[in-house]
Amino acid sequence: MSDTADDPDKVWPTGLTLSEAEEVHSYLIDGTRVFGGIALLAHILVAATTPWLG
Amino acid sequence: MLNNYRRYALGKLSRIGPKYLPFADVATTDVPLSRLLRLSLFQVTVGMALVLLVGTLNRVMIVELSVPATLVGVMLALPIIFAPFRVLIGFRSDTHVSALGWRRVPFIWKGTMLQFGGFAIMPFALLVLSGYGEAVDAPRWLGLSSAALAFLLVGAGLHTVQTTGLALATDLVDTEDQPKVVGLMYVALLLGMIASALIFGALLENYTPGRLIQVIQGSAVVTVALNLTAIWKQEARDRQRAQSKAPKANFDESWRAFARNAGALRLLVIIGLGTAGFGMADVLIEPYGGQALGMSVAGTTKLTAVMAFGGLIGFGLASKILSQKDGCPSSVANMGAIIGIPAFLAIIATLSFPRVELFVLATLFLGLGAGLFGHGTLTATMRAAPKEQVGLALGTWGAVQATAAGLAIAIGGIMRDLITGWSAAGQVNPASAYLPVFVFEIILLALACFVLVPMMRQRGQARKSSAPAYVQTEASFETR
Repeated sequence: MSDTADDPDKVWPTGLTLSEAEEVHSYLIDGTRVFGGIALLAHILVAATTPWLG
Repeated sequence: MLNNYRRYALGKLSRIGPKYLPFADVATTDVPLSRLLRLSLFQVTVGMALVLLVGTLNRVMIVELSVPATLVGVMLALPIIFAPFRVLIGFRSDTHVSALGWRRVPFIWKGTMLQFGGFAIMPFALLVLSGYGEAVDAPRWLGLSSAALAFLLVGAGLHTVQTTGLALATDLVDTEDQPKVVGLMYVALLLGMIASALIFGALLENYTPGRLIQVIQGSAVVTVALNLTAIWKQEARDRQRAQSKAPKANFDESWRAFARNAGALRLLVIIGLGTAGFGMADVLIEPYGGQALGMSVAGTTKLTAVMAFGGLIGFGLASKILSQKDGCPSSVANMGAIIGIPAFLAIIATLSFPRVELFVLATLFLGLGAGLFGHGTLTATMRAAPKEQVGLALGTWGAVQATAAGLAIAIGGIMRDLITGWSAAGQVNPASAYLPVFVFEIILLALACFVLVPMMRQRGQARKSSAPAYVQTEASFETR
């Protein structure tokens, strides 16, 4: 079991190898981080224009 | 329990397979037109961002948000700072290490994210900058820095998307089809600019801050949607490239190898000169029509449409000429610059013969010349690019082109404001104040022609005998 999981060339049922799948996943993670950062900054700016907490 | 679930999930996954994943199945030699049309959508978003920055926001910030014009000028110039980095972006995409063997798509995606992020914070940054609502009390640096960040993000995204997108397009098609792709990309850019200018204009007719937020954030969403559609299943996975342990080329060496190609640097000079020459006219044609020929605002707006129409004819013509076997991109570029010179002369002539028809005709030919020149130089860049340096070559093209165009627009804008100011003060005849600017543009175009001629002669000799390196690569691509 552990052999197959470590083998970088094994093609998983999705048609991707492990490292390929990890790369696809990394785009998702990076995208979420950028989204989060941008949303935070946008909220700060909106709060400066029209404060909603008192 | 957990095992069952796992088996079930894997079973499902294996049936879905890579059909729903964003890879092209194989690197096919034959790319259908529909796929290229889809890829050209990234140029639509680039055009949209350009119009939003240079056209729409330029006006909205000054008129509706009453931000000082100098500050607006500085903010809108920020994206140009990123233009030289296109060289680096192109190089990085050439040598990108990816488990998927992708080179361009990760960059287009990241560029899209940057552009999206910039647009997402831009409306609020602008409202804080203009001191709308409670933001009057907000510290000054907050508005300044966030607006600058928004413009920088959009600029960085724009340059990344365009550089790597064009490189991907070059990767996908054969050399003989490249002129068509270049034409397609230019037309997509132009149509994107025209359509978004009309749409932004209609949406912002009754300006409210809420509407501004909707429009800019709406374009953020449109950007992501169109770019995702554009890159979906375009670049094939390449396991060989992913596993090759080739030493990573460093930038200095790659650049030196690129610059050693005879004609590479010469081509860059030509692109800079010609783009600056045509680009300055973009901002000056409208005010000149109004001040020298007394055209109405509606009339001068139509001039932009006439120029765009000329550009479309130019792209079509260039695609047609260059698709033929002996089509030479440098002579097409030369033709464009040569057409531009009498067009500018005709505009100067309207000082003594103020005829609107002559001016409109000259504007049409100006657009035609710009179209031919742009198409010719981009095709020449693509053809001259060695296969492993496509990104670097197109990055350099973009860096020179975007910097020259940005500087030309900035200088043109300054000239326009100066002349308008002088004529308002009654110090100078507004029409004749434009004369030195148009003469300067003629000089730029003439210089471009002058630098181009030896390149065409080199090519002519290459036909007959052996040739310098640059021409040889070009010739060898053609016979492929």
